[in-house]
Amino acid sequence: MAAPVVEAEARAAIRPPARERKNGRFSVHFAHYKWLYLLLLPGVVYFAVFRYAPMYGVTIAFKDYVPFLGVNGSPWVGFQNFEDFFANPDFPRLLGNTLILAFLNLGIAFPLTIVLALLLNEVRLSILKRTVQTLVYIPHFLSWTIVASLSFLLFALDIGPLFQFLNSVMGTNIDFLSDPAWFRPLIVLQEIWKNTGWGTIIFLAALATVDQDQYEAAIIDGAGRFRRVWHITLPAIRSTIIVMLILAIGQMLNTGFEQIYLMTNALNREVADVFDTYVYFVGITQGAYSYSTAVGLFKSLVGIVLIFGTNWLAKRFNQSGLF
Amino acid sequence: MKIHNTRGGRVFDAVNYVFLALLGIITLLPFIYVFAGSFASEAEITRRAFFVWPEQFTLGSYEYIFATPAFTRALVTTILVTAVGTLVQLAFTVTMAYPLAKKSLRGRNIILSLVVFAMVFSGGMIPTFLLVKDLGLLNSYWALILPAAINPFSLIIIKNFFQELPAELEESAKMDGATEIGILWRILLPLSKPVLATFALFYAVGIWNDFMSPLLYLSDNSKWTLQMYLRQVTAASDLLGTGNVDPNYIPPEQGIKFAVIVVATLPILIFYPFLQKHFAKGMLIGSVKG
Amino acid sequence: MIRRKLSLAAAVATAAALSLTACSGGDAPAADLTSVSIMAPFLEAQPPGADGAVQKKLEEITGKQVKINWAPNASYEDKTNITLAGSDIPQVMVIQGKSPGFVKNAQAGAFWDLTGKLDKYPNLKTTFPDIQQNASVNGKVYGIFRGRAPMRAAVMFRQDWLDKLGLQPPKTVEDLYKVAKAFTEQDPDGNGKNDTYGITIPKWGSLGTNSPYDLIEEWFGAGNRWTERDGKLVPSFETDEFLQADRFIKKMVDEKLINPDFATFDPTKWNEPFFNGKGGIIVDVDSRVSVLINLFRQADPNNFQNKVGFVGNLEGPDGKLRAHPTDGYSGFLSIPKASVKTEAELDKVLEFLNTMNGKDAQVLLNNGIEGVNFKVEDGKAASIKPETDESKAVTTDIKSYAQLGMNVAGNQFYPVKQPTDYEQQVFDKRTDVMASDLKSAVYNPAAPYVSATYVAKGAQLDNIVADARIKYLAGQIDEQGLKDAIKLWDTSGGNKVKEEINKLWQDNK
Repeated sequence: MAAPVVEAEARAAIRPPARERKNGRFSVHFAHYKWLYLLLLPGVVYFAVFRYAPMYGVTIAFKDYVPFLGVNGSPWVGFQNFEDFFANPDFPRLLGNTLILAFLNLGIAFPLTIVLALLLNEVRLSILKRTVQTLVYIPHFLSWTIVASLSFLLFALDIGPLFQFLNSVMGTNIDFLSDPAWFRPLIVLQEIWKNTGWGTIIFLAALATVDQDQYEAAIIDGAGRFRRVWHITLPAIRSTIIVMLILAIGQMLNTGFEQIYLMTNALNREVADVFDTYVYFVGITQGAYSYSTAVGLFKSLVGIVLIFGTNWLAKRFNQSGLF
Repeated sequence: MKIHNTRGGRVFDAVNYVFLALLGIITLLPFIYVFAGSFASEAEITRRAFFVWPEQFTLGSYEYIFATPAFTRALVTTILVTAVGTLVQLAFTVTMAYPLAKKSLRGRNIILSLVVFAMVFSGGMIPTFLLVKDLGLLNSYWALILPAAINPFSLIIIKNFFQELPAELEESAKMDGATEIGILWRILLPLSKPVLATFALFYAVGIWNDFMSPLLYLSDNSKWTLQMYLRQVTAASDLLGTGNVDPNYIPPEQGIKFAVIVVATLPILIFYPFLQKHFAKGMLIGSVKG
Repeated sequence: MIRRKLSLAAAVATAAALSLTACSGGDAPAADLTSVSIMAPFLEAQPPGADGAVQKKLEEITGKQVKINWAPNASYEDKTNITLAGSDIPQVMVIQGKSPGFVKNAQAGAFWDLTGKLDKYPNLKTTFPDIQQNASVNGKVYGIFRGRAPMRAAVMFRQDWLDKLGLQPPKTVEDLYKVAKAFTEQDPDGNGKNDTYGITIPKWGSLGTNSPYDLIEEWFGAGNRWTERDGKLVPSFETDEFLQADRFIKKMVDEKLINPDFATFDPTKWNEPFFNGKGGIIVDVDSRVSVLINLFRQADPNNFQNKVGFVGNLEGPDGKLRAHPTDGYSGFLSIPKASVKTEAELDKVLEFLNTMNGKDAQVLLNNGIEGVNFKVEDGKAASIKPETDESKAVTTDIKSYAQLGMNVAGNQFYPVKQPTDYEQQVFDKRTDVMASDLKSAVYNPAAPYVSATYVAKGAQLDNIVADARIKYLAGQIDEQGLKDAIKLWDTSGGNKVKEEINKLWQDNK
């Protein structure tokens, strides 16, 4: 009797005004927010012009594209390119290799990036921190050809320092560069060396905004280093971690071509061939733009499903998600 | 503010410091080799597998690449394009991120979905090229800046960051009569320095490292950026293994390769330390409380 | 009032200026081709500038404005496709090779079919019709080929090791084995350590790429990519000789006469084992001999002779010499139809190219400017010392300009004089050996033919056999495994390729 009325009044009191609600009149909404829409304009125009206008290029995947004939002049082949791709007897192997590498990178390289960021964050000797921060991101700028050359040097049969060291530690005589079992660890190791430092930048930026008061309070409460990290630092960057994770998952099928190509040889090709090397090979040696576009389209579709999927999952767990 | 350290904490620090120092050395060494190699002769590079100091110091490689003004011109061009481009791209991104950070803005979700979609799908190299051509941007530096004006990933991160900033900041500013743009400019941006510095770096590196755009859009050699030269000397010379490389071709000496790498990489490498002061911890958030 | 007059004057001036630009530049009638645009790759670290001495001289010789759009060779195929897709297409395009992408564009009508059209231009009429045929697409000539040395295969070895062990240079493949074995087992550098071996082979891509494997297989009689057996063309790897050759190589691998990391060895470091006294033999192109000598000279200018010796192709086990030639060309200069629209225009462009292949232009593009960076000595081009900035600029530029050279009727420029007498001797010996080997060259009968199936999946198919070859040599599979892989090539599409090639071959006989 009285309660519902009180409730309704209470609800009315906390209801945001019409202009801020999503279901009020748009003109009111717009008038209130016109500056925001104005700020939005350049970006929207950019996306429309530079990102969406060229999207008709996606049709190349459904044609037998010849650059000379142009997109419109090239003959239509429907799903032929996709059929060729999926029916290719190598497809399961390519898919397997790509996925395994993707999971390894996600499971190993990604957490290591966070760990490194945390370790760097714990350094209070400013000079050390800044120096190491600057140094660890140098490998990101060196091309994969250099990384490959160095790997060949370090793991060279019989004479490479790492070859000797690892084999003596393990008591074996493995040729890491040609043994299929060591291809993936080698690739992940290279990836870690090259990109971990770079990857910490975004986390360090997030860590820079963590409220210092909380640490003081925690110390007063007697929390040790590890507990401080676990209970304050990590939660503070949780949303960043989730966003980066979602994006990493969305990029899963993009292993990159150059690194794999350089490390592939006749003896490890079984485990080395991934979509990107295959497509590059086919696309370039056979001038088949259509084919590479088709595969690219396939990867994009998978990527978008993964992104929306993991984003939804994150939201379900009451995290902030990507959007 | 002193943080009292337990014994365990001190041990951890010691191990951590040593580990990080070693890591720093491991990541630095290869570049030192490249740097040293750029001052060494071909015979020495062939003889010694790895070194950090050349036995015989020679400037031959640098003389070779700076023999014509092309290289210096490319260096200056690249620096200018990167500087201007970074500002433009950052401006585009931030102005779009701010409105999208307002959950109550109508159309926000649609736009965000379209942004995410664009992150994964693209029209491809040739349609983008044709677009740039139709816009009359061929052979112009704007072709290196505008097509990548907003990186959807950066947009989303910056938007997320704005979302996390306390609402009280804006409200108190509004009560003082500030406009939306004023709020953005005077309050949010100064608070976002670490994030802005990060993406300034990302955009700068993106433009600096971009070799595809100059290849496609700049037909005038005098406008080239450093990446064109860098890519030329470092691309795996047997990338195709099909022998389409001219048999008369003798690959550039390794010293020259190294010299090109040094010139094309060093400037952007030293950009980061300058940005580091913006990553200082714990700025200003606390000032809002109370 | 004055303002109006001024703006009127401005309008008239602008209109006048606009009409002038509309009349000059732009589409000149075919009758007077005043400028030619060319797209060419450059292979050096940087392209020539637009106003170098070489550029000026070229325009002098040809009497036209020559606009060269230099593109880095590292992404030349992409650049070519982009250019064809765009609207600013040059009148001449250097095409690096008969890639499937090129074939597609050509067959779609992107380039002029020059078959039969070249003979009326004295400098474009080739003296190597075989090579022109090889460069064609199923008989259609889509460009003027760029001639390259037809024979380059050589076996080079540490001469000082050979001398120390009292051995003779190898003549047959059996000799190669003996020398490799001696290098491995008899301590040729005399340091008391068992740290030397015979042949260094780097990681190699696919089939038919002039790899050491291809060379040895040819010497055994397997043919050059394709060979005629019983009136049909078969791929070289389907011959018995192919298996024999690989057995031979495997024997050397098993006896450790070849570097054990042959499957992964970085090709950019190929000179290192030779130079550092580890692997004493390299089987590759003859120009590497001079590169090696140059390295030794840099390291010790007083003692570098007689470190590097070489021979040409080796005789097979049956005593016959089957020399492995190159394709004889490296791509060609094609003329896009989109920018050269009529036969009359084509004629003008071909005339231009005719001049560019004349003696003066050839000397310019390959030697430089006489009196500035070189002078003629004994019919050779000797570089002028001391070098001035001008001469250095010319010497650097011509490395790129040489890309425009066609040389379809032989080289009319001066051979380059080597820096020392010793190196000159070596160079001359190289020329002689290669010329002599050329007489025993075994050509690829299928070179001109482009099989549709091969275009679609040839590269992957070839990988099956190329990988199997390596695996067999490494001991991962046995000879049956190798044979199975060859059969797999057949069933995965190779049979169709054989069919198509044979049909094209028959039709064009």
